[in-house]
Amino acid sequence: METNQANQKRSRFIDLAKMRKSFALKPLAVGVAGIMLSACSGSREEAIVFTNLDECTDTFPDMQAKCEIAYQQALEEAARTAPKYNTASDCEHEFGANQCRQYSSGGGSFFMPLMAGYMIGNMMSPRPYYQPMFTSYSRSSPYRYRWTTADGMDIGDISKRNHRVRSGAFEKKPAVTRTISRGGFGSSVRAKSNWGSSRSKGWGG
Amino acid sequence: MLRLEIAARENWQQMAKDYGFLFHTMYGEPYWDETAYYQFTLEQIERDLEAPTEEIHQMCLHIVDQVANNDELLRKFAIPEAYWDAVLTSWQQKEPSLYSRLDFVYDGKSPAKLLENNADTPTSLYESGFWQWLWLENNVDKRVLSTRADQFNSLQEKLVNQFKVIANYYQISYMHFACCKDTAEDRGTVQYLQDCAKEAGLTTYFVYIEDIGLGANGEFTDLQDNVISHCFKLYPWEFMQRDEFGPYAISSNTAWVEPIWKTILSNKALLPSLWESFKGHPNLLPAFFESDKHLLDLPEHSNSKWVKKPLYSREGANIEVFSKTSTDLSSDGPYGEEGFIYQAFTPLPKYNNNYTLIGSWLVNDQAAGISVREDASPITQDMSRYLPHIIL
Repeated sequence: METNQANQKRSRFIDLAKMRKSFALKPLAVGVAGIMLSACSGSREEAIVFTNLDECTDTFPDMQAKCEIAYQQALEEAARTAPKYNTASDCEHEFGANQCRQYSSGGGSFFMPLMAGYMIGNMMSPRPYYQPMFTSYSRSSPYRYRWTTADGMDIGDISKRNHRVRSGAFEKKPAVTRTISRGGFGSSVRAKSNWGSSRSKGWGG
Repeated sequence: MLRLEIAARENWQQMAKDYGFLFHTMYGEPYWDETAYYQFTLEQIERDLEAPTEEIHQMCLHIVDQVANNDELLRKFAIPEAYWDAVLTSWQQKEPSLYSRLDFVYDGKSPAKLLENNADTPTSLYESGFWQWLWLENNVDKRVLSTRADQFNSLQEKLVNQFKVIANYYQISYMHFACCKDTAEDRGTVQYLQDCAKEAGLTTYFVYIEDIGLGANGEFTDLQDNVISHCFKLYPWEFMQRDEFGPYAISSNTAWVEPIWKTILSNKALLPSLWESFKGHPNLLPAFFESDKHLLDLPEHSNSKWVKKPLYSREGANIEVFSKTSTDLSSDGPYGEEGFIYQAFTPLPKYNNNYTLIGSWLVNDQAAGISVREDASPITQDMSRYLPHIIL
């Protein structure tokens, strides 16, 4: 991959390791744990989970404003990104009795879990990270007594306040809504692919 | 411009597996073919392909500007009226584009002639940006090819940069990617773009076009009910506009890549429009709208053969080649209901009994590399083979 031309017309560098889709050398024993480990390795950072605003201001009396901003923004994020359900019982099945609230928006109403806490990272910086936290009290849920993000990342036991999280834990998540219907795209493709005997390849040109 | 034979890398099929290049053979026929390559001089690349590609792109943008503001032209381009405002707004706001591919007839000597502009859903991107790059690196490392050999291919570098530009324009940290089901080629192309987007720092989500849902507030959703706020779609705008969810493509406020103004460029009506505005340009072929068919009979065209192309068509479908006296060639297909255009016929050059077509890539407005495809038929269809190239 050495380059020796000043006016090279091709990409200078491509990280081949990142382009690989499978392992080059097969390990002797491949366990799921082994793969998970390599997929999850990478930097971790300190995060603190508070269940309410007071817990934060009691811990950081000199950073009240930061606590409040993070709390308010986490609440907004919770409304935006929490999983949404058609009925209260669907929601409670996942999160436990009395853990859900009704939410109304232009397209009707649905149910979503309450924000059970909020996670703060990088507290000493001028702009700490934040993320709403959810947990479940339902026996049928894998998230029972675990802090989890809106998209289901397991942060740790709810009895603990300090956690080491991997660096994606604070990433902004897409909003979540309730889907009314699917399948409204793709009919033009079906119409064209009914033609002839051998529809092939894709729809690019 | 030479076609030279070369030994295939011994382990290339295993490498293809390792790198996830899963469509190198299709329907039992080779698609990726490294038993030969094309060699260009730097002058051929820079003077005959790179510079014209950027110039034609600017000419195309001039046409977009004309059409987006003109109801009569929008109708001529068969863009449904319900989308006219969205096209104009998207264009006025300069919504960022990712990429395009111009297809050229080029023989190494005469000026390259534009056949069409694949501005909305071009494929063969992975083979171009990554796989032929790796082929060159491997062959140079083994000294099968000269260490001075280069390639016109900065696609991957430029795609990563353009994803940074797009992320910055929309102030986003994540993005959805979508293509249709049951096509390894499209899924591979989209995976490649996801890889480039990740390199640019974006988190990527994938959803199949057919699985896209409509949310309670008219937003689009993926299978996890995540709202699709920004989406790369390998699905043509002309199809989206005619699907049931078409109207929501605008009302949902989803930001699309490619943006909807690209619907003007991926349309064959572009070709007669270019000829009207830039008649006689060395890289253009004479082209006319169906309503101007009488112009084909002008004395200056008396020796011409013509290609009749549907406004919307893909992979060489529904093409007819004819002259005053006969129909020479035609291909079947499902397209044509929106009308046709006529373009002067120029034969593809022949190398070793193959017809050779050059695809010239743009990332946003920068020329970014070429791809070379060969076909046994003079109309390049979807069974053509992809060959790597070098500059020496």
